[in-house]
Amino acid sequence: MSDDMYIARSVDEDILAIAESGGVVTSLLKCALEQSMVDGVVTVQSPNRDRFAAVPTLLTGPERLPDTAGSLHSTAPNIARFVKEYLDGASNMKLIIVGKPCDIRAIIELEKRSQINRDNVTLIGLNCTGTLPPSRTKIMLVEEFGVDPDDVVGEDIDDGKLTIFLKDGSSKTMDLTELEEKGYGRRDNCRRCEVNIPVFADLACGKWGTEGEEEKSTFVQICSEKGRALFEKALDGEYIQAKQPSTEQLEIRQKKDEAEQARAAVARETDFKPIDEMSLHERQDYWLKEFSKCIKCYGCRDACPICYCEHCLLEADRNFVKAGEIPPSATFPLTRLAHIADSCVNCGQCQDACPMELPLAKLFNYQNWKLRDIFEYVPGVDSDQSPPLVNAMDIEMRIDDTFLDIAAILRKDKAKQTDG
Amino acid sequence: MPRYEPTICPYCSCGCGIYVVIEDGTVIGQEPWAEHPVNEGGNCPKGRNPYQFLYAEDRLKTPLIRKDGKLVKSTWEEAFELITEKLKAAEPNEFGIIASGKNTNEDAYTIQKFARVVMGTNNVEYCGRLCHSSTAAGLGPTVGSGVMPVSQIDLETADCFLLVGINPKETFPMMAKRIMRAKEKGARVILVDPRDTVTARELADIHLQLKIGTDVALINSMMKIVLDEGLENKEFIKERTTGIEELRKHLASLDLEDLGDISKVPLDLIREAAQCLAKAKTASVLYNQGLNQHTTGADGIKALASLALITGQYGRPATGLSPTRGQINGEGSGDMGCLNVFYPGFKKVGTGAAETFEDLWKVEGLPREPGLTYTKLVDQTKYLWIIGTNPMMAIPDTDNVKKALQEKELLVVQDIFPTETAELADVILPAATWIERTGTHAYVDRRVQKITKLIDPPGEAKPDWWIVTQIAERMGHKEHFDFSSPEDVLKEIRRCVPTYKGITYERLDKTPGGIQWPCPSEEHPGTSTFFTEKFNTPDGLGHLQVVDYKPPAEVPDDEYPYYLTTGRSIFHYHTGTMTRRTPKLDDEIAAGYCQINPQDAVAERITTGSNIVLRTRRGSIQVEARVTDDVPEGVIFLPFHFSESSANKITNPVLDPACGMPEYKVCAVEVEVIE
Repeated sequence: MSDDMYIARSVDEDILAIAESGGVVTSLLKCALEQSMVDGVVTVQSPNRDRFAAVPTLLTGPERLPDTAGSLHSTAPNIARFVKEYLDGASNMKLIIVGKPCDIRAIIELEKRSQINRDNVTLIGLNCTGTLPPSRTKIMLVEEFGVDPDDVVGEDIDDGKLTIFLKDGSSKTMDLTELEEKGYGRRDNCRRCEVNIPVFADLACGKWGTEGEEEKSTFVQICSEKGRALFEKALDGEYIQAKQPSTEQLEIRQKKDEAEQARAAVARETDFKPIDEMSLHERQDYWLKEFSKCIKCYGCRDACPICYCEHCLLEADRNFVKAGEIPPSATFPLTRLAHIADSCVNCGQCQDACPMELPLAKLFNYQNWKLRDIFEYVPGVDSDQSPPLVNAMDIEMRIDDTFLDIAAILRKDKAKQTDG
Repeated sequence: MPRYEPTICPYCSCGCGIYVVIEDGTVIGQEPWAEHPVNEGGNCPKGRNPYQFLYAEDRLKTPLIRKDGKLVKSTWEEAFELITEKLKAAEPNEFGIIASGKNTNEDAYTIQKFARVVMGTNNVEYCGRLCHSSTAAGLGPTVGSGVMPVSQIDLETADCFLLVGINPKETFPMMAKRIMRAKEKGARVILVDPRDTVTARELADIHLQLKIGTDVALINSMMKIVLDEGLENKEFIKERTTGIEELRKHLASLDLEDLGDISKVPLDLIREAAQCLAKAKTASVLYNQGLNQHTTGADGIKALASLALITGQYGRPATGLSPTRGQINGEGSGDMGCLNVFYPGFKKVGTGAAETFEDLWKVEGLPREPGLTYTKLVDQTKYLWIIGTNPMMAIPDTDNVKKALQEKELLVVQDIFPTETAELADVILPAATWIERTGTHAYVDRRVQKITKLIDPPGEAKPDWWIVTQIAERMGHKEHFDFSSPEDVLKEIRRCVPTYKGITYERLDKTPGGIQWPCPSEEHPGTSTFFTEKFNTPDGLGHLQVVDYKPPAEVPDDEYPYYLTTGRSIFHYHTGTMTRRTPKLDDEIAAGYCQINPQDAVAERITTGSNIVLRTRRGSIQVEARVTDDVPEGVIFLPFHFSESSANKITNPVLDPACGMPEYKVCAVEVEVIE
């Protein structure tokens, strides 16, 4: 059995009382702050306990940690952007950052672009099966669940079902696919997302694999030495207790992950197949029609955690895209696509910020799935791998034709290898 | 340590939520607020750049007093003393005060109370006069209320939209979003606009590109088609309206061909539109300045409301005529009574209202006669106090405005920047704005939201309600202006304006998206849809209106051969005071321009970039030309955001007799190329 997997639990009664599943994350943060391992922790907080409005927060002491405990599903704060934009990319402070898989992936992509100082950050990734758009979800709660959004005290997304927990102790469960067919449910990038367990963080925490435990617990996977150091410090300092999971628990965890990945594959098929089936002309018409809705607010660019240029080519004063015109020319979205698609982590922030509801996350995610096979690159999962846009594969170096049909070259190359 | 604080965008009346990011008392950024029900995380270009203007170099930071012709730094005390001394000499009818659609409700309430209680006059107005006074005059007699009768959020449930003189893609993007959603579900969009706007291209299924200023003729022809073809909602007409016989008789006397000759819209297209509207389950009628800003604006609105009534499109979510207010408090400053004919809560000026408020305010001798309207206040008063509005850019024939302002015995301008108007002031008072003070606004659909003070105002700038209260105190009315916080003012508003009774800061703090008035009690959730049972007219019925087409006051002739029409761009806001001080918006459009059709451009030897002179009977301006099919032949479109080529220097100051609305949308112009 590996010594990377644990079932852990906070030993702090106060934390356990407010924690979602064992309180390990809150206890790890408390340990790090109390033991001065870091200057601060980045987590999310709901002002006024509003479950639909979490914002990223930097805490430099443990006092307000209880406000950040528990999990929120109806909100998707842009954590990578918070660190990049407002904390100077952790350039001069040591931080622990807690995030969903897409947050962690965005941070890893930023780190590759020297926008976040990896040495200064420890990443605690949280298992995720998707988040819900807050405004729409409040309508769903009224229309579909028949409950007052203010009465909701918890949510869970598991086994293709959405369960909501209410103030009075009761809960209601509905089938996610059915909700999503009605236009409710998860953000559509989340539906397509194949990453549920963020093993590329320093620690991956979640509740899968804690089935069968008498008390609510946290499953912790140690993914790096940095993660191990934090975990062991918390153990040694008696912030948490831990034990090894059973083989059965490990299997359950894996099966749950596989089942969610299979659901995501179906969602990708649903979203991508119609595009694949279009002729190139139809595809162009489809996207140009979408682009024509744009009112040039720059919301997508600003929300994109991967975008980082200080003086963006698309700014009106760069004379690249004609100033003062809506819709802007298709150069605007296409330039973003060219700059980002290789590294898109499908966080959906661009689409969330789009006032005209362009299916931007679909565009970028679609393009990324095409590119990842060609460049053998999955964004945000491996700090050592550099993005295709700035890194040439051996095979690319051998291209002497200016017409880049990389897919064909790749096929040829693979065929050659097979022959060889 | 950076923190995210929720607030509401300072620009239009959609009322979109945003997070501002604040560190050490300074706004350092802005992030989407996805929970907000209006915009759900999205913002338009202005809403994405809402705070840079706060930090523009020329923010007013201290009171200024004109001495020897020059504006020099002063203290609040000195400014108050000077103003008080002068105002004590003013007769009630010599004084006027003009509020803004950007004031908070608390500011606006205090301002109107000052006029009425301290100065004894109804000479109080706000810039709503210049954008939706025709709404009050048009909808008042028809349905009894000039407010948006539904929630903007419900618009997406409509299956037909009739958009009249409105360009929501640029001026109300969040409403455009609702229309786009409805279109996804099969809704049809009819647009009435002489210009081929981005809305026409992106949203319209049927574009009735009428000749400018012929709205009444077009709407009459639509009504005639509906009645001729028996498409009217007979049950609705019978149960909920009055006046159908007169309307039938009038429309029967009109000839569709004649009406078509006036509007220049092909009859089959008008028919298609009329049928589409009449057959819709849920039709939403949105209109704006294109309909309002005419000498016949009120008529156009009466006709349009009658069309909605005979098709039964009123009284359900998404239906009815929705006037689209352009400013953050376009609705609220009116609610608070900053209008010459209304005490707070739209209590019509007269003995009844005066007595009611004498009772509520514990004062005597409140004015019983209507005051002067905005343009007349500017023209005719001796003592004028202008708060957050810029008549030197905003009202037609500004050369005459300038003369009038220069002749004032006292001109006080209270603003955040040295505007074109402030430059003429005797006293300038520096105001706090947006998140520098706390207050509520009423947005387009009567949605009251709170903006909480998050940062300090620059220098000695102060909130408007505070400034007014200070002067009222010095004028001897301390007991009537016993306000030490905006919350004190809201408490009085709740006591005096029944529709606001249930609205508290505490509730607003907990309610993203706010509460739609009427909200009669603290338990009441607010009212999203009006007129569900009856209209606000005395008999509760919708009054169908008979109106005749009248041409605009000034039409092209040999000397001035083109139509000139004015309007807005998505990148700028009104007189440009805020957006032109916002670098990213200035980068998009840095200077004034006008649009001219390619045919006309060829005839005048104009190309895009040509520097041209636009000359009307009022005067002339220089502006850069853009040649585009967006405008039809014979029409020149001129945005009004740019002071160096100020549109209102040359527009026609003629007013709609029903409401005092200037005819911004039509005048005759001559074009000359500068070689």
